[in-house]
Amino acid sequence: MAKPARFELGMSPHVVSNQTTRKIMFDVVIALLPALAAATWFFGPKALFIVLISAATAVLAEYLCLKFMKRPVSFALDGSAIVTGMLLAYNLPSGVPLWLPVVGAAFAIVVGKQAFGGLGHNIVNPALLGRAFLVASFPVLMTAGWMAPEQWRYEHDNPFGTHAIAVEEMAALPEADAYSGATPLNVLKQTFDLDASAESARSQGDVAEAGILGERASSIRAALYSVSTYRNLLIGRRGGCLGETSVILLLVGGIYLVMRRVLELRLPLSYLGTVALFAWIFGGSGWFNGDPVFHVLSGGVVLGGIFMVSDMVTTPVTPRGRIIFGLGAGLITMVIRRWGGYPEGCSYSILLMNLTTPLIDRYTRPKVFGEVKNDG
Amino acid sequence: MAKVRTFRGGTHPPGHKNLSSGQPIRRIPAPELVIVPLCQHLGAPSKPVVSRGDRILRGQEIGAQAGFISLPTHSPVNGTVKSIENVPMPHRRTGPAVLIETESEDGGQVFEPWDDFRAHSREELIERVKLAGVCGMGGASFPTYVKLSPPPGKCIDTLILNGVECEPYLTADHRLMLENPDDVILGMEMLAYALGVSDYMIGIEVNKPDAIKLMEAKGCRVLPLMVSYPQGAEKQLIDAAVGREVPAGGLPMDIGVVVQNVGTAAAVTKAVRDGEPSLRRIITVTGGGVVSPGNYDACTGTLFSRLIEESGGYSDEVVRLISGGPMMGISLYTDEVPVTKGTSGVLALTGAEARDVEEGPCIRCGKCVDACPLRLTPNLIALAAENQRWGMAEEYGALNCMACGTCSYVCPSGRYLVHYIKKAQDAIRANRGKEA
Repeated sequence: MAKPARFELGMSPHVVSNQTTRKIMFDVVIALLPALAAATWFFGPKALFIVLISAATAVLAEYLCLKFMKRPVSFALDGSAIVTGMLLAYNLPSGVPLWLPVVGAAFAIVVGKQAFGGLGHNIVNPALLGRAFLVASFPVLMTAGWMAPEQWRYEHDNPFGTHAIAVEEMAALPEADAYSGATPLNVLKQTFDLDASAESARSQGDVAEAGILGERASSIRAALYSVSTYRNLLIGRRGGCLGETSVILLLVGGIYLVMRRVLELRLPLSYLGTVALFAWIFGGSGWFNGDPVFHVLSGGVVLGGIFMVSDMVTTPVTPRGRIIFGLGAGLITMVIRRWGGYPEGCSYSILLMNLTTPLIDRYTRPKVFGEVKNDG
Repeated sequence: MAKVRTFRGGTHPPGHKNLSSGQPIRRIPAPELVIVPLCQHLGAPSKPVVSRGDRILRGQEIGAQAGFISLPTHSPVNGTVKSIENVPMPHRRTGPAVLIETESEDGGQVFEPWDDFRAHSREELIERVKLAGVCGMGGASFPTYVKLSPPPGKCIDTLILNGVECEPYLTADHRLMLENPDDVILGMEMLAYALGVSDYMIGIEVNKPDAIKLMEAKGCRVLPLMVSYPQGAEKQLIDAAVGREVPAGGLPMDIGVVVQNVGTAAAVTKAVRDGEPSLRRIITVTGGGVVSPGNYDACTGTLFSRLIEESGGYSDEVVRLISGGPMMGISLYTDEVPVTKGTSGVLALTGAEARDVEEGPCIRCGKCVDACPLRLTPNLIALAAENQRWGMAEEYGALNCMACGTCSYVCPSGRYLVHYIKKAQDAIRANRGKEA
């Protein structure tokens, strides 16, 4: 009943919703867990270790940075470093040595995030920056580390074969393609190389050789664009970065995020939609005969679409800006996949688009309520 | 019931209205000392026309209107002027007030009561509303007569009565509509007559089904509205009601609409039918910080502490005292402030109810952008303001902000977005003053 001597003063509003940054970050961690289960199932306990090491390194690096900069160290436990660490690990092949995620996660946090001022201030997605750093610095480790799915459980008698399956044999083994350690996008890229060889053979007058090469490319593509491949891609039984393979479990995480109102659908839908559209138009050997399903299910676009294109800090806040961001990232992804030097362009497309975010925000500011265009 | 309408954006803070929505309005007699502020309305304070020791009557003018956007102030009691001094006001600063020692509280009828307002001209009615000191009872306290006198050339075709009461906790308007619907409806007819409009309606959120039913039963055109904050903001209410957007930087009268609060309508009825100036109002006293929340009919100049006493005093957990609702209200350090015509609620919040989060960095989640009813980008304006880039803040539309608090409410980082935007508004306006 006692009346306080003085009431506390505060600015309006005096109430606040119960959504917090920490809750959002831990929702993202929860949403990432189903895919982690798939990674562990297909690539073995080592995949789990990589994720744990990466996340732990990220938190530790964040803690040390904050300590060094004399900022409140409680930020290290707000969940954002864990998300960065997990996402970096999800973008690594499962065959990498265990020190690699340590280097990558430390780089992601120190250079990608804290150097810019910490949470909310980084310009590009730190996890993707970490990955780009590793690809540039340790290209062999980052591309030779592909493992065939479930190889760890069958040791040397992997019934699905190993990642050493030759491309030539894949045409004869339409069921086996997705089990190979090489990623499906790698195989696809090689078919385009075969097409190019066929073209050069034809120009040299060797029509027979050109025919064989062209035939082989088409039959491999036919094997890739098949229902059995789709099924494997959907459940994640394929080579690839450890966290990107199981499309269905990534979607489970995505649905959870939508239900928790953390994921706003404009970004992932415009991104994946652009990838699908572009794949259909330009993805094949001619026009309008590409396979959008294959392109959406393979590589990292679902992981990227749900967890990285939609990273809050580094993407636009305006509704129109989000659609533009998704469009741009989708286009760059497909240009890299189709004509670039890498089989997958997801991470670079997002990094490049991250740089345009402030500009997009500025030019897509929504029309204010009651605002009348006065420039006609 | 008609189609339930709403506006775009907004948020859904928990209502907490059941704390007091079932409590009938209780009339509190005037306290022994009333402290009547001379600036209960928006605009210039009224000039005191009484001096110390004067015996005055209830309803007597104690402050004269001092300009166009200003109103006269009246004494709510019969008594003696004790002093005229600056006192703490519910908007946290101090302001001049007339302190009157109460003798009694009868009388108060200072104008001729009109049995049939239609027997008088529109101008006479508007003059009466002005002389009675009626201002908007919804919170902004804008002089009502000004809203009834559109400049020549503006054609008003619609009157919307605001019974939305979208601020959480508050139930004063709700109780008023339930207990005194006839005054509200008569006041609405008077306002419509003054404006010369035949199209008038009352907007009520669907969380007050009893009020909607009652008003419809009384033959009133009711506009049921979705429960969403800030449904009762003038521009949002108009958008939901008639689908017209008030131009940015403009007024509702620019698109032919006038909005008045239900409490204002009841005050107009009192002024016109009973010949009594605006002396009392309905106030919700609520929150987990008071023992038994309730709705009161108190005279202006009653101290908040008296209202709290009436509600059983403070509970042990009280930490914050607010004049108004939790979204836009002003937090006070003391309860020794007087009720004004604009006091819709006195809110005592406990530590568990009041905001208790530390501000973190913007994570650019965009929730404020999606929720802003004016389609601003609050996070970007706030960022510009923090870096004192006032030009950029203005480019992002900072001046349009009405400080409804929706952005700060939804922000997961607990950022004081409204505060930054207000700061930007002040700076932009100050810079303009310098240039001019």
